[in-house]
Amino acid sequence: MAGDIGKIRIRVPSNAKAGDVIRVRCLVIHPMERIERDAQGKIVDRNYNYITRVTATYLGKPVAVFDLTQSVSENPAFSFALKATAPGPVTVTFVDTHGGKYESRADIAFA
Amino acid sequence: MAESITRRSALGTLGVVGVTLAAGALGTPATARAQASPQALGLQETVQDGLKRVFGGRPMKDGSALIKLEIPPIAENGAVVPVNVEVNAPMTPASYVKTIWIVADKNRIPIVVRATLTPDAGQAFVGTHIRLGETTDVRAVVEQSDGTLLTAKREVKVTVGGCGG
Repeated sequence: MAGDIGKIRIRVPSNAKAGDVIRVRCLVIHPMERIERDAQGKIVDRNYNYITRVTATYLGKPVAVFDLTQSVSENPAFSFALKATAPGPVTVTFVDTHGGKYESRADIAFA
Repeated sequence: MAESITRRSALGTLGVVGVTLAAGALGTPATARAQASPQALGLQETVQDGLKRVFGGRPMKDGSALIKLEIPPIAENGAVVPVNVEVNAPMTPASYVKTIWIVADKNRIPIVVRATLTPDAGQAFVGTHIRLGETTDVRAVVEQSDGTLLTAKREVKVTVGGCGG
């Protein structure tokens, strides 16, 4: 499991037409650690590993930026829309609190 | 229970003081600082404190006619609750939906996610999976490019909480 951290899947529609507003879904394998408490109920103070920022770009321009907290689920999934003006790459970048940076891309092609 | 609420609000207050101090040292207003740092989003606080910290006292209009908040009314597993927010508003450079917040009222960290959009998105839509600790209201707060705040909320019944500790 640990070795899979940062594995990303991006899904884009395969039958888009120029000018369509399409929806992109992406999923990343990440523990998104929750705040732990000791037996006395005190918060364990350490650097929890969770994703703080997700950036999605299309043709090099940002479309959506997500800022997350620990209230987001483990192995989080994100969806967003974009207006498909030209064939090209969608890039999604994830940054976590332990300095991890994971990036993946998918290409939008017109049917 | 009463004890834990006191501790939590105390922590929230400390967090705000910390942010204010840090902002003071850098010479930027506290609100700008809080919005610039993603870590500052995730404080343990009550939802009232969180909304006050993020939005100040800005008025919020009821946006339930424009905001489509898709979330299951009953979540069997609070660890993964899918949420989709769609706003029926134009996405042009002149007028667009700038930011969408998802807020879970009773979570220890109530501000769940902030999504910043650009007009290139073509449609104001975001979706993600969130954790819910217990049965709670979930709200979407939408900020348009002219600064108008709209909000809509729905109650979700949670069978098994997903926030642990």
